Amino acid sequence: MNIRLATFFVSAILLAAFVAPSAIAADLSDVGFVDQAELANLPPFVAANRQLAAYKQALDQQFNSAIKGASTDADKQRVSMQFQQQYSDKQREIVGPLFQRANVAIGQVMATRNLSVVVDKRIVIFGGQDITKDVETLFMSNQAIQPPTATPGPSEIGYVDQTVLDGLPKVKAANDQMQQFASTERALYAPKLAAAKSDAERKQIYQDFNKALADKQEQLLNPLVEQTKNATAAAAQKRNVLLVVDRADVIYGGTDITADVQNELTK
Amino acid sequence: MSKMSSPSKRARVAAFTLAILAGCGPNVHSSSVRGAGYVRVDEVIKHHPLYSQLSQLDDAIAAIQLQAAAPHVPLSAAQIAQQTKELTREMQDAQARAQKIIAQKQQDYARREQQAVAAALAAAGVPGAGQYAAQQMSATSAQQAQSAAQAAGQDFVAYQQSVMASDNAAASAIARQLQTQAAEKYRAKAEQLQQSETDLSLRLTQQDAAQSLAIKTRMSNLALDEATRKQLEGQLAALDAKEQSQLSAQRKSDAATLAAYRTQLDNETNAALREQISSIQSQTAAKINERRNEVTAQLRNLGPPALPSDLSPGVKDKIAQIQKQFQGQFQADAQKTVDEFNATQADLNRQFAALHGADVGATGAAAKELDALQKRRDDLYKEIVDQIQREASRIAKDQGFSIVFSGVDAAAGGYDMTGEVTKDVESLHE
Repeated sequence: MNIRLATFFVSAILLAAFVAPSAIAADLSDVGFVDQAELANLPPFVAANRQLAAYKQALDQQFNSAIKGASTDADKQRVSMQFQQQYSDKQREIVGPLFQRANVAIGQVMATRNLSVVVDKRIVIFGGQDITKDVETLFMSNQAIQPPTATPGPSEIGYVDQTVLDGLPKVKAANDQMQQFASTERALYAPKLAAAKSDAERKQIYQDFNKALADKQEQLLNPLVEQTKNATAAAAQKRNVLLVVDRADVIYGGTDITADVQNELTK
Repeated sequence: MSKMSSPSKRARVAAFTLAILAGCGPNVHSSSVRGAGYVRVDEVIKHHPLYSQLSQLDDAIAAIQLQAAAPHVPLSAAQIAQQTKELTREMQDAQARAQKIIAQKQQDYARREQQAVAAALAAAGVPGAGQYAAQQMSATSAQQAQSAAQAAGQDFVAYQQSVMASDNAAASAIARQLQTQAAEKYRAKAEQLQQSETDLSLRLTQQDAAQSLAIKTRMSNLALDEATRKQLEGQLAALDAKEQSQLSAQRKSDAATLAAYRTQLDNETNAALREQISSIQSQTAAKINERRNEVTAQLRNLGPPALPSDLSPGVKDKIAQIQKQFQGQFQADAQKTVDEFNATQADLNRQFAALHGADVGATGAAAKELDALQKRRDDLYKEIVDQIQREASRIAKDQGFSIVFSGVDAAAGGYDMTGEVTKDVESLHE
């Protein structure tokens, strides 16, 4: 009995030992991350943000006066866009050079460490290489930072620009329709909620409102979300990408598969 | 047959062996995983024991926001005046509180700065430092500066109150005037429609007068048989019913016109009111700012007595450093009070705007409740996510992952750790 049992275990262990090596591959080790919140606390960024906040405060006062003079919706929109543009220009002027320097510093550290992608710290739960301190040191040094000579190699971490996908006609139409629906429902339920006499009545009205939105979302958006997810996974597989994150979470490098996903979705 | 060879025992051994193999966890280093894992944190959150509390907070926040989206019933001039008065009083109280605190802090920092300067002069052995310190600390000069600052502050508050009072009086007068104008227009329209109805009634009566008279003349014939009389009565009633029907249709149409006109007038009145009040408020803000700048300039001249002119550069530097340090500390401290006041002011301004019909979302107590709920929600969410991340890290370490992500849009490889982390988070609270 003991021999048979032992034979069984040995077979199992041998099986595991023989099967495993064929599937073993090198782990991902070329992923870095940066704590952007920590970078934003560096004195040059703090000073620039303070300057920008003061500018915004002054601009807000001008905007309030200008918007009062706008009589039509078109005028109001024009004034809003004009001030938005003014603010963006100032933001580029004040913070732009700092972003540029930080970006070059990240590229330089990335090249030194042979990384293929640098992402935001927020999306990394475990592992990866924290390059925040190296970037800070280089950024704060007096020396001019040379941009890396070579572009990062292909990365197995891909990204998709969600704003581009949101601009696809069918996605945009669905989002607009959902927004319109939510707005109509809000106008319908808000007075009911305001007129409700008891907590139970309020709860019921609110549940009905939520259910109406959830049902519409299920019908209108969820199929698109699923479709996008499948298209992204298919595009990732074709480009030998393991995982796909949002463009907003990638700071440097990575494999952009947005166009591939777009093509998959418009097939 | 031995015990081990029985089918049930063999099954148990097989299950045990499978369990050993399964216990090894995922093949983390396979070519499809490459040591990379991911956790769908939003999914795990739904299984966290505190998720029900998070949902309750989300619901409460959304309910307040939904309620704030309800249209507001236009208020009467008297209601606007009353509520404006209350808001103004709250604003004045907040200003007075903030100014009192800042004045107190200013005095406190100035006293500490003067003590530090006097100590620095004494330490540097400046001749007459004691006398200078006494002069710096002189109750008279401090009192004079304080009195001047207080007087300037009081003058500013009085000015502010008087400007705001005239703003409110003007706003109320305009509201009354606009509402009176609207009421007059409405009355004129109602009279016009009523006149039209009277004209129509007259016209219809005249139109049918000949026919009606002929019928009545025939009916006055005493020799008329019963059947003909009934027929004539019916004709007369039909004529009357026709007139009534036309008149009733006209009245219904006029009532609808009048109701639409009422809505139009209300909208016009509210728009005009908002515009006028907004213009008054801008002028008020400009006047108050101008006076504030004047007062600030006056107060700036109330500095401490001049330092002796023959101080060494080292002592001058030391004193400049002390002044800079205290000025910085005071500014940082005062900024907190200013920030608190600004938050109160912003909320009161929102209530002001809401009072005059602007769509500004939740205000007053609702806005405060919303802020408090949002903060509790954010804290709880962070607590939940932190715990999930801690558990995910521990599992990742145990299983030998090289990296684990939380925000993944899609995966063509890697290992989805969501199930393990969910079980772990659930078991922590069992």
